[in-house]
This record gives sequence, structure tokens and C-alpha cells, in this order.
Amino acid sequence: MSSDAHRAPDGLIIETAGLTKRFRKTLAVDGISFEVERGQVFGFLGPNGSGKTTTIGMLLGIIRPTGGGFRLFGGDSPEEIHSARQRIGATLETPNFYPYLSCRDNLRIAANVKGKGAADIDEVLEVVGLTKRRKTKFKACSLGMKQRLALAATMLGDPELIILDEPANGLDPEGMREIRHIIHDLADRGKTIFLSSHLLGEVERTCTHVAIIQLGRLIRQASVAEITSGTVSVGLRAGDDLGALETIAGEYPRAVSVRVHEDRVIVELEEDDFASLNRFVAGRGVYLSYLAREQRTLEDVFMEVTGATESGFGEVQ
Amino acid sequence: MSTTAVLLRNETLKLRKRLAFWVTMGFFAFIQVVSYGEEYFDARKDPEETFALPAAWSQIMSDESMISVIFGAVVLILLVSTEFTWRTARQNVIDGLSKTEWFWGKAALLPIVGAIFILSQIVIGGGSALAGTDLAAMQGAIVGATFFQALGGFFLAFFVMGSLALAVALAIRSSGAAMAAWFAWIGFGERLVALGLGRLFEGLRTALGYLPFGTSLKLLDYDAFDPAAYQRAVEAAEAAGRAVSDPVAVGTASLVAVGWIVLFVGVSYVWFRRRDL
Repeated sequence: MSSDAHRAPDGLIIETAGLTKRFRKTLAVDGISFEVERGQVFGFLGPNGSGKTTTIGMLLGIIRPTGGGFRLFGGDSPEEIHSARQRIGATLETPNFYPYLSCRDNLRIAANVKGKGAADIDEVLEVVGLTKRRKTKFKACSLGMKQRLALAATMLGDPELIILDEPANGLDPEGMREIRHIIHDLADRGKTIFLSSHLLGEVERTCTHVAIIQLGRLIRQASVAEITSGTVSVGLRAGDDLGALETIAGEYPRAVSVRVHEDRVIVELEEDDFASLNRFVAGRGVYLSYLAREQRTLEDVFMEVTGATESGFGEVQ
Repeated sequence: MSTTAVLLRNETLKLRKRLAFWVTMGFFAFIQVVSYGEEYFDARKDPEETFALPAAWSQIMSDESMISVIFGAVVLILLVSTEFTWRTARQNVIDGLSKTEWFWGKAALLPIVGAIFILSQIVIGGGSALAGTDLAAMQGAIVGATFFQALGGFFLAFFVMGSLALAVALAIRSSGAAMAAWFAWIGFGERLVALGLGRLFEGLRTALGYLPFGTSLKLLDYDAFDPAAYQRAVEAAEAAGRAVSDPVAVGTASLVAVGWIVLFVGVSYVWFRRRDL
């Protein structure tokens, strides 16, 4: 990515092209190419060990790529990348702080690097609700406090791009809700957010766009709306013989796919015409006791696409 | 704020708030107080013993100063390697420091920690000797040119072993293992290397006296900076019928020390730059 002719448009915050990392014999990231535009809340999804953290590590300059390249805020020279990093707030994996320092002192370390002062520290402590606990040593913090402190550190200096790697890891539902609110608030303030997580429900509720990777390869990138729309799914039930119902539904000409899920048969249709399907099944002597639209979730899509990879490339981690 | 100011501010903040540093420092100061206190009381009890300035500098800045070097190296290893254990090195870079800046922040600890331990020893040792000095009868200044030359040697010796500690901490990235490696080198590693190479290459024997620890010991000899002191030592050795050792080539030792420092810091830097965080 060294050609100036290929310089990214203004709206592109992250652009990777064939980004690759090999650790000796292990290919952790295999030629990933994706784009993140300004203002997006971008979910970066993948099973554990799929290469999410390695990819982020390369963007943040702590892991050296072994192939491909990337642009941050349109720049790809070492100077431009270094300068672009001043516009990023990020945490990687677990919150990484000095255990013997207080929450406030830990933020001072980051604030000094970012050229920010005491007022900025107080502001982010307030946003994440740690003002009263600012003197608590990091080692004495609960996991939720540590995650909130990490979020505070990323917000220091009002960065344009915020990168969060598993920010809800280990949090209880209340903690997750708080983190989600903070992320929504940041998104409302026009920040671009790059969020890596395997909590798909959280991502679906939070993100506007997603990319799914597995075994170091990018499988899919699209908006959340796009990725969860497309075909229409309907759930059917008729007595206990799901196998027979699955066979009949499979004969329906407009069925894209049919599968048994828990206590019902899920039929993916080309179009939203449930009455026609109902007539078709009844015409074969089976009367449905249950017919309802199935909301296709990000988790469904994730399972589908990673499942496809499972058969194609090997084990899912 | 300049990058240098940011680095110094952060490193001193971390140092000031680190209990492990204060515990090490306290233990070091306690040993120094006991050691020089004993010298002071011995001198008061026995008129044959003297512990008064300026002559006492040769007792204070002797090869026993290696204790400052050891404590300083331990602190350096603790300060550097835990940055990897806690993954704060990674976070510092994520927060905006370049890897080069991060490295120089750690390298800046060499003079900072060196100054703390060396000056503590000078203050405690010098203070104890000063308490036993009859200022009215004192001949010469409290500190002279020899003192400053020896102090320079002390710093160089610290930097050699400190930069080795820095290199080991950056390479191994674990406090315990890094300390074990550093102590193994000064305990027996260097002697084994010198012995092995000395047997293989007879002509290298003199040069093998300038391995890092050996070079440091040469520079920690106050008398090496004082020709009169060396002359007195020669006379004493001859009177006792002992063999007279050659004078320490201070210039050579200083140059070699600078070489070791550049090598260790340079290798650490290249190694650190090449590795992922």
C-alpha cells in the first residue's frame, strides 16, 4: 500500500490490504483486507484464536506485519502511521495498567504521553463513573472497574478512532450494559469505534458494521442490517415428527434452506409469503401448530459463515 | 511537553510510587549505614584505625561499591521486566509512544537509578567519615580531583553492569529469570568464559580481564585513580614480601567500559525493536 495514487478517501479511517502475520510456522493473519469508514461502529468478529487481536496489534504498532499493509487516516508511511496513532485510543485484550498505581495515576501515565492534563483525566473518570474510586490501586479494582478504567484511558485526548478489544470480557450483565451505553454515547459523539468481541448479541446491539474472520481469514464484511437481512426465515412446528416436516418443507419450491433448530423447523424463504408455504404444507396433509417469522440474528449469520468455513478449511477454534 | 520530559516524568512517577523500589532502597541504605557506622565506631575505639575524610574515600569507593551496582541492577531489572509481565510496555506504545521512545525511557533509568544508589552510598559513607573527621586538622579538601575521577569510574562501572541488566531484562522479559541470568553472569558465568577462552587462546588472557564484570571491578578501585595510593600499596606489598600487582589501566578500562555500554544498549535496542510486544 505504498502508491499515492491509491491514497484513501477522507472518510476511510482504517484500510488494510493483504495484511498478514506469520509467527514461525503459524499463519495467524492471512492476507486480511477490510475498510472502516469515519463514524462507523465496526464490529470485528471471530472465534477465539481467529486473529482478531493480532490484526489489531498490527494496526497499533505492537506487532510487526510479515506481509501486506494498512493505512490509518489515509497515511501509510511510518511517520504518518505514528502521527495517526496519536488520534487513536485503544486497549488490547485485558486492561493493561500498573497494579501498584491508583486509577488516576495510571491515567496520568497515559495522559502525559497524549499531552493531556488533569482536567482531561477528571473528565474521563467522570464519564466511566470512577471519580469516587480514582485513588483505588489498580490491583484492588474489580474486573468491571478495570474495564471502565481501560475505557477511560482510550477516551483520553478525545481520539477520533477508538479501538476496543473485548471490552465486555468478564463483565456481569449490568457491567456490559454500562459499557454498551458508553460505546453508544461515543458513537453519538461521532467517534469511529472498532470493536472486537465474540459476544455477538452485544455487537449486534452496538455496531453498524461488522467483519467476520476465522483462522486468520476475512470471511465477510458488511453492515449489520445487510448481514442480518436478505432472505426471510420462518419457524414451523407440527406434532413431534420434525424430520417429516423438514422433508416436506424441503420440497417447497421457494425454500432456500431448511434445518431443524431446537423444537422447530427453520425454513429460509426467497420472499415473505408465509401463507403460500402454509398452503403447501397443508396440501401434503400436515397442519401446522406453529408458524412464526424467525428473526435472523448476527449470531445465526456468524454460525452459518464460520460453519461453512469449518467444512472448507478445518476446525473451528 | 517534550518527549524527553514525558519519559522522565512517567519513569519518575512509576519509580516514586513503586514499593519494591523503596524496599530495595531501604535495605540498601540499612546495609550502608551498618557498614559505614561500623567503620566510624571502630575508628573511634581504636586509634590505629582511621576513618576520616579525605583519606576515607578510598575505603568508601572501593570494590565494595559493587553492592550499589548489584542493588541498582536489581532495581533496573524489576522496573523493566515487569513492563512486559503487566503488558504496560504494550499499552504505553498503544497510548502513543513509539517503540524507540519507550526504549529510551527505560535507558534513561540507567543514569537515574545509578545516581540514586551511587549518591546514596557517597552520602552515607561520606557522612559517616565526615562525622569522624577533625575538620580543623584535615589536610587537603574534602573532595579533590581523584574523588571526581573515581566517581566517574563508579558511574561507568554501574553503567556497564546496569546496561547488561537492561539487556537481560529486555531479552528475557521476566524479573526472576532476568535476575538469575544477571547474577549467574557475575557469579560464575564470566569466570567460566574467561577460563575457557583463556585456555583456548593464551594471548587473550589480558583482554579477558576486561569482560564486563572485570572491567567494572577495575573501575571500582579508588586507588586506581590515585597514583600516590598505588605507590603506597606497592611499598606495603614489597615490605610484606607479596607480589605487586600491575596498576589498573584506567584509560583502557574506561574505554572498554564505554564499549560494553554501547554494545549492551545497542543490542537491547535492536532486539527490542525487532520483537513484538
